[in-house]
Amino acid sequence: MAVRIIVDILLAIGLFFLIVGTLGYIRMPDVFGRLQASTCIATLGTIAVVLAGIVYAIVDGSEVIAYVKLGLILVLIMGTNPVSNHALCKAAYKMGIKPAKELVMDDYKEDEVE
Amino acid sequence: MEKPSKFAVWLSTFLFCMLFWLLLTWSVEPVELILGAAVSAVVAAFSGRFLIHNRAFYLYNPVRLVMILVYNIFIFFWEIIKANVNMARIVLSPNLGNYQAGIIRIPASPDIKSDYGQAMVSNSITLTPGTITMDVAEDEEGNNYYYVHWIDVTETDREKAGEVIKGRMERWIGRIWK
Repeated sequence: MAVRIIVDILLAIGLFFLIVGTLGYIRMPDVFGRLQASTCIATLGTIAVVLAGIVYAIVDGSEVIAYVKLGLILVLIMGTNPVSNHALCKAAYKMGIKPAKELVMDDYKEDEVE
Repeated sequence: MEKPSKFAVWLSTFLFCMLFWLLLTWSVEPVELILGAAVSAVVAAFSGRFLIHNRAFYLYNPVRLVMILVYNIFIFFWEIIKANVNMARIVLSPNLGNYQAGIIRIPASPDIKSDYGQAMVSNSITLTPGTITMDVAEDEEGNNYYYVHWIDVTETDREKAGEVIKGRMERWIGRIWK
């Protein structure tokens, strides 16, 4: 019973941040804001849901492979997400997409990195 | 830093692929092992040169592996929680919290010179909601800089902003990679 509560709390946290990420994706005015908000989905959203799965698998007495694979899911998502996020953000900037609001500071433009 | 030999590059990538294969299949049957070794050998032959640039066996060291685990479970996880709560506050406030985005150049720590260390720092920055690394650049004197898109610029001084964005994470990564 106590374990069930822990699993439910972890799932609730994960779902909350998944919703925050999706809401941010809809509400943000430009590409960069959307990319930033969607990072919530890949980080705490995924982490909490996978942790809930791991706790459940351990207590349920599943085979070891069950939670090893859950851990691998986490490693692969955390390994690949930043690369695509970085590439999308840089490509959007280089394409000349204007931010919805004037940037406070823009060192990237001033330094003119090739 | 000298270039590793081709065999060292291949072997290092092969071990890495084999480790993942073993974790995914989770069996030690001869058929699985032979198949995994064959696939890993082919993959390592083609992609080793993209993965390994110097010091081929640097990561195969129990102390470093434990350090990476500790870093990810305690330090990095805590940073992610803080940043996620911050992001949720911005997204859920009625006027999007009037956030002020900006792209800021923050100096990299002079201790971390290798590509792996810089990649790990910039991936850590990108994974924290609110900051995305856009580029890593080097100036004439050999100092490295990260260009970071920051959704809520609360600190315009570049040194201090670097401390806010990556200070603790970079110090820990500096103990793993040189």
